[in-house]
Amino acid sequence: MIENSKNRTYTRREVLRMAGMSAAVLALSACAAPATPAPEAAPKKPAPSKEKVHLRIQMDPDYEKPVGDLFLKSHPEAEIEYVSVTGIDHEEVASKILSMVAAGQILDLGYAATEATQLYAGQGLAEPLDEWVKRDADELKEYFADVHPSLVEAMMWEGSLYELPFDFNAANLYFNTKLVAEAGFEHPPQDWTKDDFYKLAKAITKKGSGGETEVFGYGWTNRLWGSWMPWIFVNGSNLLVEERAPGGEWLWETFYKDDPAAKGRSGGWRWTAPKANDPANVEALEFMVQLYKEGITPAVEMGGGETLSGFFGTGKLGMIPAGGFWVGHLKNAGMKRGDYDVQLFPKWKTQRHQFGTAGLWIFTKSKNKDLAWEYSKLRVSKEAMAIHGWYNGTTLTTPVRRSMLNEERFAETGPEHWQVFYDTLDKHPDTAPIPAPPVSNPMTTLFTSYTAKAMSLEMTPKEALDAMQKELEDLFARYPDMYKRET
Amino acid sequence: MQAATPMRGSSGWQFSPIAWLAEDTLAGIARRRALLGYLFVLPTVLGILIFTAGPVVVSLGLSFFKWNVFQPAEYVGFVNYRRLFNDLRVFISFVNTLKFVLLAVALQIAVSLSIALAVSQRMATWLRYYFRTAFFLPLLMSGAATGVVLGYMLHREFGVVNYYLGLLGIPRIPWLNSSNWVLYTMVLAYVWQNMGFTLVLFIGGLNNIPPEILDAADVDGATGWRRLWHVILPLLSPTMLFALVTGIIGGLQIFDIPYVMTRGGPGDASRTAVMVMYESAFKNMEVGYGSSVAVILFILIMLVTAMQFWLSKRWVFYQ
Amino acid sequence: MQSTRIYGPRTLPTIQRWVEYLRYRVVHWITILILLAGSVIVLAPFAWTIATSMRLPAESFTVPPQWIPTHPDWSNYREVFRKIPFWNQILNSAVVAISVVIGQLATASLAGYAFARLEFPGKSILFWLIMATMMIPLQATIIPVFVLISKLGLPDTLASLILPSLPTAFGTFLLRQYFLQVPKEYEEAAMIDGAGQWWIFSRIYLPLVKSGQAVLAVLTFNYYWNEFFRPLIFLTSKERFTIPLGLNDLKGYMMTGSISVVLAGVVLSLIPVMFVYLLGQRFLIEGIMMGGLKG
Repeated sequence: MIENSKNRTYTRREVLRMAGMSAAVLALSACAAPATPAPEAAPKKPAPSKEKVHLRIQMDPDYEKPVGDLFLKSHPEAEIEYVSVTGIDHEEVASKILSMVAAGQILDLGYAATEATQLYAGQGLAEPLDEWVKRDADELKEYFADVHPSLVEAMMWEGSLYELPFDFNAANLYFNTKLVAEAGFEHPPQDWTKDDFYKLAKAITKKGSGGETEVFGYGWTNRLWGSWMPWIFVNGSNLLVEERAPGGEWLWETFYKDDPAAKGRSGGWRWTAPKANDPANVEALEFMVQLYKEGITPAVEMGGGETLSGFFGTGKLGMIPAGGFWVGHLKNAGMKRGDYDVQLFPKWKTQRHQFGTAGLWIFTKSKNKDLAWEYSKLRVSKEAMAIHGWYNGTTLTTPVRRSMLNEERFAETGPEHWQVFYDTLDKHPDTAPIPAPPVSNPMTTLFTSYTAKAMSLEMTPKEALDAMQKELEDLFARYPDMYKRET
Repeated sequence: MQAATPMRGSSGWQFSPIAWLAEDTLAGIARRRALLGYLFVLPTVLGILIFTAGPVVVSLGLSFFKWNVFQPAEYVGFVNYRRLFNDLRVFISFVNTLKFVLLAVALQIAVSLSIALAVSQRMATWLRYYFRTAFFLPLLMSGAATGVVLGYMLHREFGVVNYYLGLLGIPRIPWLNSSNWVLYTMVLAYVWQNMGFTLVLFIGGLNNIPPEILDAADVDGATGWRRLWHVILPLLSPTMLFALVTGIIGGLQIFDIPYVMTRGGPGDASRTAVMVMYESAFKNMEVGYGSSVAVILFILIMLVTAMQFWLSKRWVFYQ
Repeated sequence: MQSTRIYGPRTLPTIQRWVEYLRYRVVHWITILILLAGSVIVLAPFAWTIATSMRLPAESFTVPPQWIPTHPDWSNYREVFRKIPFWNQILNSAVVAISVVIGQLATASLAGYAFARLEFPGKSILFWLIMATMMIPLQATIIPVFVLISKLGLPDTLASLILPSLPTAFGTFLLRQYFLQVPKEYEEAAMIDGAGQWWIFSRIYLPLVKSGQAVLAVLTFNYYWNEFFRPLIFLTSKERFTIPLGLNDLKGYMMTGSISVVLAGVVLSLIPVMFVYLLGQRFLIEGIMMGGLKG
């Protein structure tokens, strides 16, 4: 055999080739080691250094950094790592937090909206803020005086406060003013009724020669907040049975003694059982189906309403349920002051609205809880709120501070009747958070799923809500101890 | 790479592993080839054990626990499985997934094979280039972007698709808003995005058919369909097997397009197995239950693939 | 190209030949027309994306749809660069995608060859193990994998995306198919000439599976360029984000971003992959020509 000589000649090259491959692998592991070969830009890798106290905050630095920098000025001993969670939806945000917790990683401050507040509190993952709030009561007086008690109550769980809310969104009705004017209507008054609404929606709707709608009176997207939930609320009902936890007097007595809106406030909401097929709910869903059948509402879709904002902006849709965040939405979609306006939901059996609110919560496992508390406190201060990216410039979400909702804020973007945002709370103090028990995520899946079945006319509203009720009952049965009712 | 460079002429009497490997006999060659085989598969096998097989075993284990990540996991035996087999939503999602896979894979292979055959005709080089690129391009879009873009275009009231269909007198089609349509819409979107992949495979496969064989078929008088059926397809069978296996596996894992376009709706009409698994684990925070769904999905995929390989032994033809 | 011979007209008696030829031409042109129509439909979503990305959001739903932007508005593109560290994130994506491509080509070529052409005890078991893992949805293992990544100290690094992706069941399977298609006679001939095993692999087989490698490279690049779920879980700081996460950021807080800006981002992020594809297609064709199995 002559393989020897042949092999010799090629061996070197082979060796080189192998070396090339291993070099590639080495290069990979090399670029792995110092994290990135990425350019400077990075505000230094926030490696846990010994002198500095390292604070991990689940926030987007694009918006949060001004506040973080302000914090570092008064706390030079600290350094901040922003954990950016970018998700298509709440689930994706949650999947990241879940994976981090499973891997034993610790955050100091997490962000949670109403949807997840009770989940984190209920799992013992979040630290109650009571002791700190009591300790720093003097400092916080100004904050609480500026914030409606219903928002604070929504952040309580079984008598303790878990977050200082900083933004909220109540579903109000947005109008395309041009379409309203074309229909021959004025801006409706605050105490308008469901029938007024129906007339307006019908008048806005324009149909083509083939009977297909070309301009819709009213549109909504299928989810928990917004959606058709406002109609459940104004019809004097809810998806779940509402109860209130005892406790919380420590807070109400200290900060809201003289506020009539704080009368009867509790230690937080308890949503103890489903009542999806309540006759009032069936009636509300029937109204939605009626609007769809009459061609007033377009086919209902899942999601955050980006599509609808396009239609709204192009003058193909007259009314939409949305909160203050829609101001930023519409500005980015190219709408100007005067192109649109806002009003309360119409009165049906009541005029009670629904809202969601959000804040930062402290991880029980955090090693820097005191510092985290200092940050939470600063985050809701007047000074910090003024410079935070969410409210500075375009209003990307509604700040909880009444004093921040002023003419100046909306002078350029509109809406004309911006007072509506806080009137929702002030004039209707019974306005409440969307139902979000610790099982709110699976509950939302059921809610949207059966809503879609009714809206695509595959089930009648009654059938859909009966089926939803049944599944919700099964769900609640799996979690009998959601609330510690013995306390 | 000692094994590949055997030392010569060590006809020694003493046993030494190197000599054993370097033996100048057929057995020696076989030994060297075996050693080379182990070395070659080592990086892949090791990596897969660590980063996939290991985690799968963990998931399998988790399916016997109740775990929401925040609190210690609690062993519950077969509770998750018992619940799973009574969970209508899980059942529907599996049925949806199977339907989706059947339709999507069949359509994808039919469409891309037709295109591959058509593109193989005599035509100007630039035209061939254009067609290949055009049909491949959608693959470059991410699933999420596909969902967003097609979602807009297929909007019932204002989408461009229904607008043009309207010009033809076709009433608005509820692409995403009806249980009767939504699964087909997903199939179309998925095939749009993925056919470039099978197209490349088939073009490659067609190009690898030795011209002598086709010439021989010509002489034998095999034309048109007969040539396609009796000559080209058998020669393409390894490619076909590959397209089938990867298509089925990809289809069974379908997630992002329906997730972005409909979130599984309306109702559960476009909910897929992976979506239910993801929702259970991450949205509902029932990691154990999600794992049990994953295990069932996994078993199902194994069965399907094993069946394919068994079948493939009968019709795949290697030159 | 050899493939052009598939449908070439063949030698027949004269009249019959003309009829045959005519039929061939007609079928040929009909096919081309169908292909053209098909390609227009397939490309329409791209045209729509580009057109909409150059329009103000308020004009995105005008009817009839405007495919050619008469007044292109570039502000959406400017906005992309203003809102996210675009180049930085593009670079991150490139590092991840290129590293994974190189790594997978190496591991899959070796393993694919071994499974196709070498005999060793336990081969089929190992092959089935690998095949089995190909079918595992990412979402099923993400928690254990992330725990592992954390233990290795790799969270929030690009390595956390690269390292677990170096072994590839799919690539191994793909290249195995290509290796299997190489006629055994080549190898036998080389063996008779006394060639060594490594020589046979690197000199005979590797060049013949270039087209397979090109396919793997293009697909892998594309997959890791567009990957969303793992980066979402593994990466936490913005300067280490890959471009799909950046695109998602364009949606803004509470989805208050503009869809036109998102689409502008989609268009921008498509450019590098298109480039890779055009490059890859050349190699792919070259690979096919080189490994043309002409014997």
